[in-house]
Amino acid sequence: MRQRVLTTLMVLAAVLVAVLAATMPISGQAPAGKTKKSAYTPPKLPWGDPDLQGLWPGTDLIEVPLQRDPKAGERTEVTPEEFAQRQAKAERTAENDRVAYVAKDSKVGINPPGYWLEHGKPQKITSLVVDPPNGRIPELTEQAKQKAAQAKQAKQGHGTNETWEDQSLYDRCISRGVMGSILPVIYNNGTQIVQGPGYVAIRYEMIHETKIIPLDGRPHEGSNIKSYMGDSRGHWEGNTLVIETTNFLGDKNGIGLNGGGTPHSADMVLTEKWTRTGPDMMEYTATINDPKTWVRPWTIRMPLRLNPEFPLYEYACHEGNYAMFNMLKGARAEEKAAEEAAKAGKK
Amino acid sequence: MRKTLSVSIALVGFLLAVSPMRAHHAFAAEYDGKKQVHLEGVVTQMEWINPHTWIHIDVTEPDGKVTSWMIEGGSPNILLRRGFNKGSLEKGQKISIDGFQAKDGSNRANGSNITYPDGKKLFLGSSGTGAPVDPGPGK
Amino acid sequence: MRKILTLLSTAAAAVVCITLTLTPGKAQAPAVPAKAVAKAPANGRRMSDGKPNLNGVWEYIGTANWDIQDHSAAPGPFWQLGAIGAIPAGQGVVEGNEIPYKPAALEQKKKNKANWPAEDPEAKCYMPGIPRATYMPFPFQIIQSNKDILMAYEYASANRLINMGKPIEAGSDTWMGTSNGHWDGDTLVVDVTGLNGLSWFDRAGNFASDKLHVVERYTRRSSDVMDYEATIEDPSVFTRAWKISLPLYKRADKNAQILEFKCVEFAEELLYGKYKKQPASK
Repeated sequence: MRQRVLTTLMVLAAVLVAVLAATMPISGQAPAGKTKKSAYTPPKLPWGDPDLQGLWPGTDLIEVPLQRDPKAGERTEVTPEEFAQRQAKAERTAENDRVAYVAKDSKVGINPPGYWLEHGKPQKITSLVVDPPNGRIPELTEQAKQKAAQAKQAKQGHGTNETWEDQSLYDRCISRGVMGSILPVIYNNGTQIVQGPGYVAIRYEMIHETKIIPLDGRPHEGSNIKSYMGDSRGHWEGNTLVIETTNFLGDKNGIGLNGGGTPHSADMVLTEKWTRTGPDMMEYTATINDPKTWVRPWTIRMPLRLNPEFPLYEYACHEGNYAMFNMLKGARAEEKAAEEAAKAGKK
Repeated sequence: MRKTLSVSIALVGFLLAVSPMRAHHAFAAEYDGKKQVHLEGVVTQMEWINPHTWIHIDVTEPDGKVTSWMIEGGSPNILLRRGFNKGSLEKGQKISIDGFQAKDGSNRANGSNITYPDGKKLFLGSSGTGAPVDPGPGK
Repeated sequence: MRKILTLLSTAAAAVVCITLTLTPGKAQAPAVPAKAVAKAPANGRRMSDGKPNLNGVWEYIGTANWDIQDHSAAPGPFWQLGAIGAIPAGQGVVEGNEIPYKPAALEQKKKNKANWPAEDPEAKCYMPGIPRATYMPFPFQIIQSNKDILMAYEYASANRLINMGKPIEAGSDTWMGTSNGHWDGDTLVVDVTGLNGLSWFDRAGNFASDKLHVVERYTRRSSDVMDYEATIEDPSVFTRAWKISLPLYKRADKNAQILEFKCVEFAEELLYGKYKKQPASK
């Protein structure tokens, strides 16, 4: 009898421990949303690190908004009806792309042809932002609001394209920053991971960035060395690669498509996590912690699919930036025309 | 057919209105929405460069005068992934463009319709479709 | 009874321990990584598959970027910089010190040199191409995986991936070319095609066309020195193939890394200055 009681209690204890272990959120994963219990163990590289290598473009996610529609509340997935709408839209776009001949009376747009873009695959997720739980970027701090107001003020009376600084850092072909280099946009969402002993390197297609992440526990660079892509340090938590990036130049890129949005400060700490959840799936999260700019940290999550048919091609942006010349020359031509019209008016 | 067409036009309009492509430098800053052009020319060169390809064409006026134009396309990387390459648009190929001319009056245009003379869209889908005017990759 | 109590308290203790270790940590202050500091066998001479280990931060010491041929010291173009802007002397890296230009090409080289620095793609912050990227006065890092080899250059964030699998053809011409590599004993041989001919070899105006074909050879001489050779072929510019060779040195600084030199901003005035809005002249 005693033996049986003992055994039963041992079993109960074991079950209790197992249940608690299984349901407790494991540290290191995104705090909001469903906890991913990844049973997948990626293969190991010859030097012992988990193998995350490959081509992980964000192309599938192109149509997913960064911020959630407020109507969806805390829902991380769309309803079946909304998903059907996404599928229908994708089918219409694909059908439109299949139209091989331009109709003679079609309306002409001031863009290159629309089929010269890439399209995503309908996704169930409501947004890329997953924390705060409403899937929306937190409020700006007072300091950040003031900065934005001042920047707007400074632009008053300033013409269009007076200098190259009137264009974004992306259109000047300088940098999109770390998050701007991975948030899915209309094309060239190439992301590639290459690993070497003691390092992980991440290549981003536009504007040919390479982020090199040492894994040997060395400290960050001194705080007087700042850059657009910041200074990254990595370590493994189980099979998850955790990258911490600091030393950013402040008031440059934001956390938005192509680096747009409210510029982050130089004090931002960006924590990214890469977890291979299957042979061809990767869970990527990024937590933005910038108390000077946003009132609380916030997190983006993207499921990325391995796509060996999406190699990165060189994106030599600055070298081919005819547009900068054209925009400046165009603005000067317009100013001249306006000047001459004014002179003619005065006569 | 007409229904599909109006859907297509509406869709294109919709896409143009909401597409993040507008955020990628305003083409409106380079090109004049009031200077619509229709060009028919012969390819002399295609620059496979980023951010945008440039197709150089020679346009022969009715009086025999030849002017050179540059037509702005999309990023070549998309084409490369679809199986096209630098040999896909050959020198001497005739093409047509409906677009808008550069604000400074130079012979540059950007437009949503770049086609072969018969109206077939250039670089649509993947290469090697077997159509006689669409050379496959690797040339 | 005691056994049961012991068992229960052990189980409870275990639950508490597990709970404490699994609770999400406090947000976000930059923390020293708790565990798994990777032992970087980056200084080992060989990878586990026996191939030479080229991983590391490398840099060329010398004046090849000024002029790949022998040259004396000379004044620079801007007297305002004094000796800071002057050109140092250098022993060339061209084998035989002769670049076999065709006559018309030699004229072009002289024009390039006369139009330096404004016409030098380096001044415009254009990617330097191969072989120039190798001997710029900036470090580069080699990340050698069990598959391909990545080279990331500090200058202008240029980079290229050397494909070590089945050779791929260049779909279009680029600044850094299309690189296919293989091992020849302990030498990494990289075949570079699809270069666009818009880079120069140095600040002396040496150049080639888009027919350029470069074959590089990287051989580790010791733990800190790597021998680099590049054979240059371009039938539209040169009468025959020719070769450069130079040593690359491993950066021995503590925690050496490549930094960021995004030079577009430094070149914008040079490129676009005459198109910006001029102050009103009434």
